[in-house]
Amino acid sequence: MKFSFHIRIWVRLLLAALVAGLLGLAVFTFYLDARVRDEFEGRRFALPARVYARPLELFAGAQLSPDEFTRELQRLGYKEELQGNDPRRFQRFGDEFDLITPPFLFWDGPQDSQFLHLSFKDGRDATLVDSRDNSPVSLVRLDPEYIGGIYPGHNEDRVLVTQAEVPAFVVQGLVAVEDRKFYSHFGIDPRGIARAFLSTVTGSGVQGGSTLTQQLVKNFFLTPERTIKRKVTEALMAVLLERRYSKNDILETYINEIYLGQDQNRAIHGFGLAAQFYFDKRLIDLSLPEAALLVGMVKGPSYYDPHRHPDRALARRNVALAAMHQQNYITDEQYFKAFMAPLGVVGKPEMGTTRYPAFLDLVRRQLLSYYREEDLRSEGLRIYTTLDPPAQAAAESVLSARLAGLEEGSRQAGAEVGVETGGLEGAVIVADVQSGEVQALVGGRDPRYPGFNRAVDLTRPVGSLMKPAVYLTALARPAEYTLVSWLDDEPLIWNEHGRPPWEPRNYDRINHGQVPLRTALANSYNVATARLGSELGVRNVLDFAHRLGINRELPPFASSLLGAVDLSPLDVAQMYQVLGSGGFRAPLRAIREVLTADGKPLQHYALSVEQVVDPGPAYLLTAALQGVVREGTGRDLAKYLPPGLNPAGKTGTTDDFRDSWFAGYTGDRVAVVWVGYDDNRPGSFTGASGALPIWGELMARLHPEPLALPRPENVELVSIDPPSGLRADHACVGAEEIPFVRGSAPEDFAPCARSTGTIIKSWLHRLAD
Amino acid sequence: MIPLKTEFPDNNTQMWPGMILRYSILLIAVTLLSACAVERGPAPPTVGNPAVQALVNTANAEVEQGRIPAAIATLERAQRIEPRNPVLWHELARLHLRQGNYQQAESLAARANSWAGDDKAMLAANWRLIGEARASRGDQAGALAALERAGEFEK
Repeated sequence: MKFSFHIRIWVRLLLAALVAGLLGLAVFTFYLDARVRDEFEGRRFALPARVYARPLELFAGAQLSPDEFTRELQRLGYKEELQGNDPRRFQRFGDEFDLITPPFLFWDGPQDSQFLHLSFKDGRDATLVDSRDNSPVSLVRLDPEYIGGIYPGHNEDRVLVTQAEVPAFVVQGLVAVEDRKFYSHFGIDPRGIARAFLSTVTGSGVQGGSTLTQQLVKNFFLTPERTIKRKVTEALMAVLLERRYSKNDILETYINEIYLGQDQNRAIHGFGLAAQFYFDKRLIDLSLPEAALLVGMVKGPSYYDPHRHPDRALARRNVALAAMHQQNYITDEQYFKAFMAPLGVVGKPEMGTTRYPAFLDLVRRQLLSYYREEDLRSEGLRIYTTLDPPAQAAAESVLSARLAGLEEGSRQAGAEVGVETGGLEGAVIVADVQSGEVQALVGGRDPRYPGFNRAVDLTRPVGSLMKPAVYLTALARPAEYTLVSWLDDEPLIWNEHGRPPWEPRNYDRINHGQVPLRTALANSYNVATARLGSELGVRNVLDFAHRLGINRELPPFASSLLGAVDLSPLDVAQMYQVLGSGGFRAPLRAIREVLTADGKPLQHYALSVEQVVDPGPAYLLTAALQGVVREGTGRDLAKYLPPGLNPAGKTGTTDDFRDSWFAGYTGDRVAVVWVGYDDNRPGSFTGASGALPIWGELMARLHPEPLALPRPENVELVSIDPPSGLRADHACVGAEEIPFVRGSAPEDFAPCARSTGTIIKSWLHRLAD
Repeated sequence: MIPLKTEFPDNNTQMWPGMILRYSILLIAVTLLSACAVERGPAPPTVGNPAVQALVNTANAEVEQGRIPAAIATLERAQRIEPRNPVLWHELARLHLRQGNYQQAESLAARANSWAGDDKAMLAANWRLIGEARASRGDQAGALAALERAGEFEK
C-alpha cells in the first residue's frame, strides 16, 4: 500500500505539473496571439500616403504632340499592344492611338476604364472618341503618375504594393521556391520540419523547413535569435497568424516586408522597393527573369547580391526558374527564354523611394501645415499634386546638361589659372502664373538624389531680382513716376544712421547720367535704383516686397533695395508670380486635393488669389520687365525663344558672381533658375550667362504662351519720343507707344513734334495754363 | 465725335493752312479711334470648348445638389483648360461668395474683370458681385463704390 500511495503522489504531481505547463502554454499563446494581432494590424494598416502627379487632361483641341503623348503613356507604365480589355495598354499607328486606361479614383469620384481613340494633327489632339462606339468624348483624364509615398518609420523604406500590383510570377516563384505547400499548411509544415530536422541530423542540411508564414514572423517581429525557444515561439506565432489572417493577406504582407538587400545604410524591404532598386521599375512591370531573381534572393540577399556577386545571383535566379518550371507554373518556352536572359539589374542603384524627391519634399512640408506627421505616415491618404511630369523632365534635363556645359567651360578656363571648378549646382522652379500651381521643382543637379533641396531651402542674396520691388513702388505713384521719368545715375553715397556709408556701383562701373526709369531697370543700374529707393523710402519698398509674397524678414537697410537679402528660389518664384499675374498673388502650392485611404475627400487646396497690387502699376512693371528682355540685360533670351513671345524677366548677379539668377514669366508660366556653389565660393557666371540660358532653353520646351497682360482700363498708350521723354507725333522718328496710368503721361511735346496740329495743341495748352 | 468728312473751300490759295488743319484733325481723330479699337486685352472667349462646357454643366449640376466644394473643384479644372476665360473666374467668385469667402469672392471677381476686356455685361456683373462681397464683409462704402462702377457699365 505504501508503494501505490507514492505512485499516486507522483501521478498527482505529474498531473499538476502537466496542467500548470498547459496553463502556462495557454497564457503564453494568448500573449502571442495578442502580440500578433497588435503588430500585424499596426503594421499592415500603417499605410503610407500615396502621392500622385497631375493627370493629363485629354480633349479635342488639347495642345499635345503624338510623341509627347507616347512619353506620357510610357511614364505611366502603359504597355504597347492591346490585349483584349486589359487596361494600361496602348497602340500607336502614326498619329493615331488606341488605348485603355485603368479605373482610377479621382477627387471627384471614380473614373471607369476608358477605351479611347485619339488622332493628332498639327501638335494637337484633333479627335477624341470612345473606341468602342466612336462616340465623341468631350473630356477625360489619364490616370496620374504615382510619384512616391510618405512612409512609416525612419530607416525602413517601403514601396507598398497591393495584391493587384504583384505580378503572378512573384507569387508563383515564392511558392515554388520557398514554400510549396503554402496554400495548404496551417502556418507550419510538420513534414517540412521533420525533413529539415532529418537532413540537419544526417548532415545534408539544405532544406530550410520554414514556411513563408514563419519567415514573415521571423522577419517581422523578432530580433535574430536562433534558439529552440525562439523557434518554438516563431512556430506558434505562425500558426496564430494563419488562424487570424487569410493566405492572401499573409502573402501580401510577406511581399512587402521581406528583406531583400542593403543600399549603404538603407535597408531594402519588400518586393516593391526591390523592383525599383534593382531594376528601376515598378513591381508590376517586372519580367519573369527579373521576378525570379528577387524570389531567389529571399534566401540570402547579401550572398546573392546581383551587384556584388552577379554570378551567384544569376545561378540562383535560374534555380528559382527551374523550380517554377518543374512545378508547372511556367511553360518550357517561358523557362528557356528567361533562363537565357541577362541579369538586367540597373547599374546605378536608385536612391530614395521617389523619382522626384525635391517635389515630394515640398508636398510633405505643405501637408504638415495641416496634418500631423503620424497621420501622413499611417493613414493611407491619397494626395493629388500639381506636378507636371513633362515640365519636370524638361527642367531636370536642361539643368543637368547646362550645368555640365558651364562647368566644362569654366574648367577649361580654370585649368589654366589653377582654380577648382567642380561642384557647380543649380535649382529650378516652374509654376503656373495664374494659379500658383508648382509644375516642376528641381532641387539640384542630380534630381534623383534626395539631398539638399536647393529650390526650397537654399537662401542666397538675390541681387537685382529685388529691383522690381523698387520700381513697382515708384510706379504705384503715377503722379511722381512713370516709365519715362528721368532718374539720376550719378554717383551716390548713402549715409544711413548707424551704418557705414554705402556707395553702390553699377556693374559696368560707369555712371550714366540721366536715364529713363524703364532703361534703369532694363540695364539694371544699381546707382539709379538706389537713389530711387532713397526717394521712395526703404520701408515703403520693403512693404511692397512683402505684398509680393516675401514672408521672410527683410533687413530694413538700403542694401536690401539692391538685393542684399537672402531668399530661396521658391520665394523668388512667388514674387514673380504676383508680377506675372498682373498683381494677383496666388500662393505657390504643390497639392490639389487629399483623399482618405477609402476615397473620401478630405481636403481641397482651392485656387486662391488676392489682388495685392493695383493693376495699373503692375501692368507698367511688366512692360518694363519685357524691356529687360527686349533690350536690357536679358536680351540673350532671344537666342532661345521664338519671336513674339515677349517674356518678362530679370537677371540677378551677386558679388563675385557667387550667385547667378534669372526669374521671369511668359503668358502662362513663371520660372526661376539659380546657379552657384553650395559653399558660396566665387563663380564666373552672371545671371545672363549662367541662369538665363537654362531658363530660355527650358521655357522653349514648354510651349510657352506669349505674354500679353490685359491692359487695365486706367492705363493708356501714349506715343513718346524716347530721347526727350516727351510726347511724340508722326513727325518724330523712333517714337514708341508707352503705357501710362491715365493722366500721368507727360503733357509737353518733344522738340521733334513739329506738325501744325501739335503746335496748335501745345499753344492751346499754354493758353489754358 | 469729330466728323470724318471735310468740305474743301473753293479758293485754292487759302486752302493750305485750312487743309493742314483739317488733315491734322483727321489724323488725330483716326489715331484716337484706332486707340479705342486696340484691344485692352484678349477678347473674352466664348464658352465654346466642349470640354469646358462639359465641366461647367457638371459644376451646375453639383451646385444644384448642394455640393459647392465639388463644384468649385470642377470649375478650377475648367480654369486649367481655359485660364483666361472670365466666365469661369466669375462663376468661381460666385461660388465662393455663396460659401461666405467674401475676400476670395472679391479677388476672383476682380480677376474675372481683368480678363473681361470690353464685355460690359461681364464687367458689370463682376462689380455687382464685388459690391455684394464688400457689403457682406461690412464694407458699406466699398460696396457702394463697387455698385456705382457696375452702374457705369450697365448704361
